[in-house]
This record gives sequence, C-alpha cells and structure tokens, in this order.
Amino acid sequence: MMLDGTEDEEKFLAAGIAGLQQNSFYMHRALDSNNLRDALKYSAQMLSELRTSKLSPHKYYELYMRAFDQLRKLEMFFEEETRRGCSIIDLYELVQHAGNILPRLYLLCTVGSVYIKSKEAPAKDVLKDLVEMCRGIQNPVRGLFLRSYLSQVSKDKLPDIGSEYEGDADTVSDAVEFVLQNFTEMNKLWVRMQHQGPSREKEKREKERSELRDLVGKNLHVLSQIEGVDLDMYKDVVLPRVLEQIVNCKDEIAQFYLMDCIIQVFPDEYHLQTLDVLLGAYPQLQPTVDIKTVLSQLMERLSNYAASSAEVLPEFLQVEAFSKLSNAIGKVIEAHPDMATAGVVTLYSSLLTFTLHVHPDRLDYADQVLGACVKNLSGKGKIEDKKATKQIVALLSAPLEKYNDIMTALKLSNYPRVMEFLDIPTNKVMATVIIQSIMKNGTRISTSDKVEALFELIKGLIKDSDVSPNDELDEDDFAEEQNSVARLIQMLYNEDPEETFKIIDTVRKHILTGGPKRLPFTVPPLMFSSLKLVRQLQGQGQEENPFGDDSSTSPKKIFQLLNQTIETLSGVLTPELALQLCLQCAEAANDCELEPVAYEFFTQAYILYEEEISDSRAQVTAIHLIIGTLQRMHVFGVENRDTLTHKATGYSAKLLKKPDQCRAVYACSHLFWVDDHDNMKDGERVLLCLKRALRIANAAQQMANAARGSTGSVMLFIEILNKYLYFFEKGNPQVTVAAIQGLIELIMNEMQSDTATPDPSADAFLATTMRYIQFQKQKGGTVGEKYEPIKV
Amino acid sequence: MVLVLALGDLHVPHRAPDLPAKFKSMLVPGKIQHIICPGNLCIKEVHDYLKTLCPDLHITRGEYDEETKYPETKTLTIGQFKLGLCHGHQVIPWGDLDSLAMLQRQLDVDILVTGHTHQFTAYKHEGGVVINPGSATGAYSSITYDVNPSFVLMDIDGLRVVVYVYELIDGEVKVDKIDFKKTSSNQSAH
Amino acid sequence: MNYLLGAFKPACNVLISFTDGKNRKQVPFKKENGQSVTVPLFHSQENIAGKITIEPMQGKKIDHNGIKVELLGQIEMYFDRGNFYDFTSLVRELDVPGEIYERKTYPFEFSTVEMPYETYNGVNVRLRYVLKVTINRGYAGSIVEYQDFVVRNYSPLPQINNSIKMEVGIEDCLHIEFEYNKSKYHLKDVIIGSGTNTHVETETLAKFELMDGAPVRGESIPIRLFLSPYELTPTHHNINNKFSVKYFLNLVLVDEEDRRYFKQQEITMYRLEETS
Repeated sequence: MMLDGTEDEEKFLAAGIAGLQQNSFYMHRALDSNNLRDALKYSAQMLSELRTSKLSPHKYYELYMRAFDQLRKLEMFFEEETRRGCSIIDLYELVQHAGNILPRLYLLCTVGSVYIKSKEAPAKDVLKDLVEMCRGIQNPVRGLFLRSYLSQVSKDKLPDIGSEYEGDADTVSDAVEFVLQNFTEMNKLWVRMQHQGPSREKEKREKERSELRDLVGKNLHVLSQIEGVDLDMYKDVVLPRVLEQIVNCKDEIAQFYLMDCIIQVFPDEYHLQTLDVLLGAYPQLQPTVDIKTVLSQLMERLSNYAASSAEVLPEFLQVEAFSKLSNAIGKVIEAHPDMATAGVVTLYSSLLTFTLHVHPDRLDYADQVLGACVKNLSGKGKIEDKKATKQIVALLSAPLEKYNDIMTALKLSNYPRVMEFLDIPTNKVMATVIIQSIMKNGTRISTSDKVEALFELIKGLIKDSDVSPNDELDEDDFAEEQNSVARLIQMLYNEDPEETFKIIDTVRKHILTGGPKRLPFTVPPLMFSSLKLVRQLQGQGQEENPFGDDSSTSPKKIFQLLNQTIETLSGVLTPELALQLCLQCAEAANDCELEPVAYEFFTQAYILYEEEISDSRAQVTAIHLIIGTLQRMHVFGVENRDTLTHKATGYSAKLLKKPDQCRAVYACSHLFWVDDHDNMKDGERVLLCLKRALRIANAAQQMANAARGSTGSVMLFIEILNKYLYFFEKGNPQVTVAAIQGLIELIMNEMQSDTATPDPSADAFLATTMRYIQFQKQKGGTVGEKYEPIKV
Repeated sequence: MVLVLALGDLHVPHRAPDLPAKFKSMLVPGKIQHIICPGNLCIKEVHDYLKTLCPDLHITRGEYDEETKYPETKTLTIGQFKLGLCHGHQVIPWGDLDSLAMLQRQLDVDILVTGHTHQFTAYKHEGGVVINPGSATGAYSSITYDVNPSFVLMDIDGLRVVVYVYELIDGEVKVDKIDFKKTSSNQSAH
Repeated sequence: MNYLLGAFKPACNVLISFTDGKNRKQVPFKKENGQSVTVPLFHSQENIAGKITIEPMQGKKIDHNGIKVELLGQIEMYFDRGNFYDFTSLVRELDVPGEIYERKTYPFEFSTVEMPYETYNGVNVRLRYVLKVTINRGYAGSIVEYQDFVVRNYSPLPQINNSIKMEVGIEDCLHIEFEYNKSKYHLKDVIIGSGTNTHVETETLAKFELMDGAPVRGESIPIRLFLSPYELTPTHHNINNKFSVKYFLNLVLVDEEDRRYFKQQEITMYRLEETS
C-alpha cells in the first residue's frame, strides 16, 4: 500500500512538473515578445499546478521550487514592463483579475515585490495588503508555501532601519508587524495540518509537519535579521507577540520547535535580558511539550555565552540569571509532577553546567543545584531507568569536567547524596568516571579526610552493595574496574609521611571490606604504597627517631600494618602473590635493618610455599624469588640465615622436575657467596651446591637415557660448567681447574656418546662457553693467568 | 633500518598508575616495527595498549604478570641480530652481569634484554650486549632506589645497532645513545 | 471627424452629423453584423442636434414626398428578432415634398430628450437608440438612413448602501458567513468582502475563486473582486415591461467530494459619472 502511494505520488509529481514546464515555456515566449497578457495567462496556468492536493509536502516542495525559479524571471519581466512605462499600480490590479486564487496570490506577491521596489507606494502598505490577501489560502500546505514565498520575496524589502525602503517615521515597527503577522498566519496553518485527514495517519502527518517546520521558523530568523529589532523592540514587541502565538496555538510540535527556535535565532544577550518573559512562557505550554529539552538548550546556550567571554558575566549577575533559571526549573517540575526522572535530572544537569560556567567561583550554587536535585529525587529509591541514570552521570560529571579536580567535587556536600540514587551498575560507572578524572588530571589526593570522602563516593567499586551482593559481572569488566581502583591508590599520598600513613590506614580500612574477589586487585597497590612510604622514611634518616615512639610513623609501624594485612588475607590472595609480597616486605625490612621483621616475613613466605603453592611451575618461580631475595638479605644473623638458606636449598632439591631441581640447587650456591660481604663467602658450601646440582643432573641424565631420546640434561651440565667458571673467576678456592677440566670432558663425552640425541642448543651453548673460555684466556692479566691452565 | 622498542616492568597497576604522559605522547602507533618486553606489565590492559603501538609484540613472563602463558625466555632474529628476552628474576644474583652473560651464552644471542631490577643498564662485552631497559613507569623496586622511568629504542641497521635510552628525570626526557657494532667473530659458530 | 457614412444608395448620399460631434465622447458599439464601431455617447435629457446632408449623385435629381428624421428608442427581444418595440419615438419633418438637384443640408434638433433607459446588449435582449432619416419617394421606394448612438445614464451615489451578509454552509459541518462591503456597486467598483470557499458566477461572467481551503472558526478571509474587467452594465428593473437586468453574487462552496453548495445574493450595479 505504502509503495503504491509513493508510486502514485511520483506520477503526480511528474505530471505537475510537466504541466509547469509546458506553461513556463509559453510564458517565456510571451516574455520574449513582451506580451503582458499572455505572460499573465501562462504564468497563472503554470502556477495552477501548485493547486494540487495530491503531493506530500516533500514532493510539493520540489514543485514549488521549480515554480519559484520561474517566478524570479517573471518578476524581472514585470520590472522591465514598468520601465517601459506600464503603470505598476495597473499591473498590481491586473494580476488580481486571475480567476484562481492561488496563482492570483503568487502573481500578486511577485508584482508586489516590484511595486515595493518602484517606491510608488510605501513598502508597508504593499506588505500589509499582501500579507492580508494571502489569507485567501487556507489550505495548510499551499498556504505555508505561498507565505513562504511572500517571506522570501519581501525579506530584502522590509522598511528596516537603514534600508532604502525605510519610510519617514518608525517604519521598523511596520516591518516587524508584517513579519509577525506572516509568522502568526503560517504557524496557524502549520498547526492546522495536524487536524486534517484521518487520525490513523497521525504519525505520518507529524513527520510531514516536521518537514515543514523550517518554513515557519524562517520568519523568526527574518525577525532576528531586522536591524531595527533592538533589545527594546525585542522585549516590548517581538518576544511577547511570538510567545503569545506559541502559547495560544496549543500545539505540542509547534511549541517545542518554536521555543527552541527563539533560543537559537535571537542573540544570547536578548535572552538574558528577557529571561523573565521567556521563562514565564514555559509553564503555559502544553503539558506534553518536552520542556526540559528546550529549557536545557536555553541553559546550554547561555552557558556557552558565558564561556565565550568574561566580559558578559556581569550581565548574568545583573539579571540574576541563576536564581531565575533555578526558579523556573522548580516551577516546571512542579507543574509536571509526572515528568520522568530523566527529565528532572536533565534540567538540573543543564542548570549545573550553567552555573559552573557562569559562577565558577560559587561552589555553593553548584551544591544548591545538586541539593535541589536530591530533593526532587528523594523517595524514589535507587533509580534504574537507564535514561535517568545516564543523566545523573552527566550531572555528576559536570563539576569534574569543569574543575578537572575531584577535590572540588568533594567539597560539594550534596554530591555523594546524588550519587546515592544511582543503581549499582551506574554507581560503578560514575565511580569509574571519577577515577578516570583523577587519573587524567593527575590529581593527587593528599589528605586522609579527602581520601575518606573519595572512598565514600566510590564505594560502589570498593565493596559489594547490601542490596544485591551477588550481582554477576563480566570477569573482564570486573577486572578493569578493580584495576582502576588499584591505579587510584597510586594517587593517594602526601609529602608528609604522617599524613601518608593516615591515608594508607584509611585506604586499608576501606579496601578490606571489598571481599575476596577484590582484594587480589587492591591489596598489592596498598602494599606497595606502604613500601614506598617505608622507603621515604628511610630516606629521611629515620634512625634519629627512636622506634619506640608510637606517635610518629615508623617503618616498624608500617610493617606491623602490612603484616596484619597479609595475615588477614591468608587464603584470599593467591598464595603466589602473598608470597611475593612477603618477600618484598622482607627485603624492605632488611633495608631498614629490622631483622625480626624481615625474618617474620620470610617465615611467612616459607609457610605459604610449603602449604599453599602446589603448582610445579609456580613452585619454580617461587623458589627463584626466595633464593633471589635471600641472596640479597644482609640483615640476618648467622643462625637465622642458616635456617633460611637450609630450607631454601631443601625446597630446591625437592622440586618436581629434575632440571628444575638442578637449576634451583646451583642457584642456591649464590646464597653462600655474596660479592660485597666477606663474611658471606663460604666456598665449601658453594661447591657442595654445585656438586649436588651435578648429582641431580646425572640422575636426570640416567632417567633420560632410560627414557631413550629425552634431551636436555647435557644442557644442565653446561650450565653447571658455567657456574663453576663463575665461581672460579670469583676466586672461590674450592673450584679448581681440575674440576672444571673434568666437567668439560664429561660434557664432551656425553655429547659424543652414541646414545646422545643431537641437541643444537646444547651444541651452541657449549660453543659459546668454549669461546668464552678462549676470550678469558686471551684477556691476559689475572684473568688470563687464571684461565691459562684450562685446556679446551 | 628497524626500530625495536624495549620496555618492561611497568607494574601497572600495582606500583604505578600508568605510563608517564610524556612517554605516551612519544610512543605513537606505526613508528615501531617490534616491541620486546621482558615482563611485569602486569595486566591485560597494558598488553592491549602495547599491541596498539605495534602488533609485533614479544613478551616473557615476569613474576607479577597475570598472564601465565608468556614463556620464561624467548629468542628472535631481527635483521642480522639475534635477540634474547628474559624477565630476569630467574637469574641469580639479580642483575648480576656475569650471570646474565651466562644466560646470553646459553641462549646464544647477540643482544640479551632483561628486566626485574628497574635499573637501566646496557653492558657491552665480547659476546654482545646485555640491556635492561629499566622500568617504563619508574615503578618501585626493592632492588633499585629512586627509579626513573625509562625505556630503550634500538635502531638496528645491518651489523650496527644504536641503542637509545629515554629516561624521565624530574619531568624531562633525557636521551642517551649507545652504539654497538657486531663483528663477524660475534657470529655464532654454526 | 464625426462623419458616419450611412448605407450607400445609388440615388444619393445621406450624411448624419451631430453638432458637437468633435467633442463628444465616443464609445465602442457592436453592430448587428458584429462589426465594432465607435459611436457618440449621450445621456438622458440632452439635446440631440445636428445636420443631415443629402447629396444627390452626379447629374441626378431626387423627387420626394417629404423628408423626416426620427429618434427611436427600441427594444428587440431575440426570440422575436427583427421585431422592434419602440418605447420612444420623436419625429422632425425636414422638408415638404419636392425635388433636390444638388446637395442640401437640414439642421435638426431634439431638445431635452427623455432617454430613461441605457443602451444594452445582452444575451436575450437588445435596447438601442437610433436616428432614422427617411426620404419618402412613394413608388420609387423610400431612402432610409440610420445612425446609432449610445445612451448611458449616471446614477448618483446611493443613499443607502448596506453591506451584504449571507451564509453558506453544509449542515452541521461548515458554516461560512460572507460579508460584502455593500450591496450596490458602480461598474468599476471592487467588491471587498470576506468569506470562504466560493465562486461568483453570472451567466456571462467568469468564475472567481475566493478561497482555497477551509478556514477555522472566526477566521476572516479578504475578498477583492475587480468588476472593471467584466464590462458590466447597470442593474435595470423592468424596462418598459419588457426586460430587467439583474446581477447576483453567486457563492459556491465546493467540498472535498466536489459537491457544491450555492447561495445567491443580488447586488445592484449603477453607473457612476466618470471623473475623467
């Protein structure tokens, strides 16, 4: 059906265009031969095509534009006629003899335009006659286009100030009167479109109407272009008259469009000075009009105006724009008790943006807006309407965007209260926005009070809500959200260690409420923040402060806190992570010369290793970390150290896979030989480790042989050879040339044995090792001397 | 001419919020042919970010990486150079050059890139170069005090590699340059 | 020049001329044969005077039984074509029976002639004024010559000229009230009014569309109809019991289904003395 309709319409349009072209052809012939009578006859016939009722506005426009072009030529002809001596007054009567009204009025407007130009009559009289006569077309579409034509041909001939058509006295008001009248009539026609035709086509009609709205709005644009419409005239005549028409037409579409149109076409300065009048109109509009959008747009315009130049700000103050807008919003909301929450928040959001631009120094205003919003939302509980929550996010984001500083938002007492209304997912979104703002601007939050307030604000991310503890969240999303919290923790510190300590304590208090899913994300950054603080205290010569002084922050106190944190978290953090953190703490305690603390952390790490870490690969990593850390510890006394190294080598030898065992054990050799500490050079025990490693490599070799075809253990021998070389170079007396020589031979044999599977990487490693020995031999000096006896 | 970006030990978000903005503005997509990262990114977001800079991304596993599939070591060949990659927490003593040189022999590479210490180093010896690009975020380290954010850009051209070190010191980016030329004797035996 | 040549007769030429022919206003006039000529214009109560010149053909004489001139006001109904009813008939004897050898001129005058009716050329009837010269020749057959002239009478401005109000409507649907500024119009007048959706029609005049689309309640639509292009005559009531000329504004309301609703209202046309 629709398709047929469209096809038919195409046909009608084609027929209309054909008729129009044919008649315009004859019209042109008449114009060329200066035949006025025929010109009038054919132009009238041409215009008769516009009498059709069969086209949609869209298609009708096409036809109209073609006629419009022809009428321009006709107008030129009329001008020439008058130059040839034809009386314009006669011409003006002559065109009115046309029998059909629509062509007659198009011709009348065309001649009228020439009439005004001729200045044989005052422009205002001609305009008045034209705008009056056009009443003859009461069909909405045809009337709108006719009047649009009138508007088009007259807009450069208005008796405006400074115009050549300006009359003797106060003709601007005539110009304004003319445009206003045309506007009023056009709007009436436009509104009436709504009531024509069957009600089932309402939607289609509304669509068609909105296609025509700019024809009506154009009049307001023309008004705004009239030079003589100064603020006084706008205030006294234009705005009241336009508003009167808008209010009286009682049409939703028209009211919405035209209110917006006013805001868009007239200068911001005028809006500011007529705020009372403009705002006064809003409560009078139809209840279905989307006032919030219009009002928001007004506020947006004014916000931008305020932002455009600091010079205009006093104007805003002078007219008390904020309180007026604030009142207006209150009234609008009051008048529309069923307004959707989204609408209410949109209004406050716009007002907030406005006040942030206009009164950036008045935080109390911003807080007032939020407060009013809270008042209106109260009793609604958590808001779940997506549109509404989106608006709340916009509302809450506005201060962040304006000040680029969360600190300012934290000063707004109503800020968290508004945030309370957000449902859980959106609350999280907002919290994320806040964090992003902090990250983007690199805002450092440097007092525990503010941290407290901030965490109160973002608590949606920090802990499960009481309402629905089991909200299922996508794992990736959850990780992303918690990582943002982790990032945030990096931004919370102060130059003053005391304050940082308070901050850490506050953060700790909050994140510990997060439950097992969050802690793995949030605890590590907290731990590292604490360790950074420890480092900071170290740098400040903490030694001067007696450790017993409880009132000041000491590394010891921090470690206590850390210890508690890790302890309370047992079973929550992944054991690998817990172990890593313990080792970090141990090393930090080492640096602070706190042996018992370091020992305590180490012991904990061992417990974790023994009891929790079962994955073989995780064990390997853990062992490396344990050995690597322990190797760096200097704080331990002999006894403690022995205990710890003994255990470490024990763990190493118990790893699941032989190669891992072997490598861990030879790594342990470094526990007994620390370069800068002479008391930690035990060549014998180094050798014991290496020999033990060799035994394991041997065992691996035998297993490999048994398994036939397994490779890899030669690699272990070469690795151990390199360790021998290492300690040989370091001057460990226990590592002898003979031992090295023996090892080289062993490797060579292994590689040449029949059972050996070719292993290119072992070949390469051996080659680079041999080359290294060569290098060292050639180096000369002590090193060269040392290597001299080794034969390769 | 091939540009290889080496950076590691970002420790985001455990120890640092993000890469320094100054670095981010320098690192634009499309300029770099390879990225090698010794590890400790630690989260997927960072991985994804690096991927946007250059799709050819090589990573070995640091102990804090949430991704456990990264290998412990990796070797790759770029032009005439063989590169080795390893986080370094496995090489004890940590940051010990002799021990790293041993790993380099084991991997049989011209350039060995490791991390873990958060201390930028570039060490030239008979067997090649050992590079530690430091921590790109200047993350806290138990090993190194006062870590400055740093990364390394290697310009590999024929037998020559120029190593540029970018270090952020007091808000200013400082660039250093180390030249390394491979001789035929550096070629591996086979 | 004010010479109008009558029918050419072999015996003589008869020329009728008016005394003030040079200054008198000439108006177009359509003759029976459809030919358009210009003829002098008179008003009622005017003197109609002039000269009649009779000029025999070279070397001929006219023997006659008397010569007279008549002023006739005639009505011809077209259903009875050729049969004239004379409502005015005045005669002046110009000569007694005798002979005319050479050109001879006779002055004549009809003083303050009552000519109450206007010349009218309608679809059904014709009213004309004519001067008729008869040279009575007995058996030889009389020589007759005619001279048409036009009479128009101006009316004073009507004392009472009420506006016209009328209503056209479709029951329970649409009522449109029309109001014309007056009921009596002069011939070059403009009908000004307001109303809707209508055509004015006369039997012989064109349609004039007043409105397009239906106005809303209380809406006032201007109507402006120039009468001059239609070349109307004044309204005449009961001309000598023979005919009347009446004008009506016929409003037609056409609805969407092309149904028509009519309403008629007589208007009075009068001739206003032209200022030019």
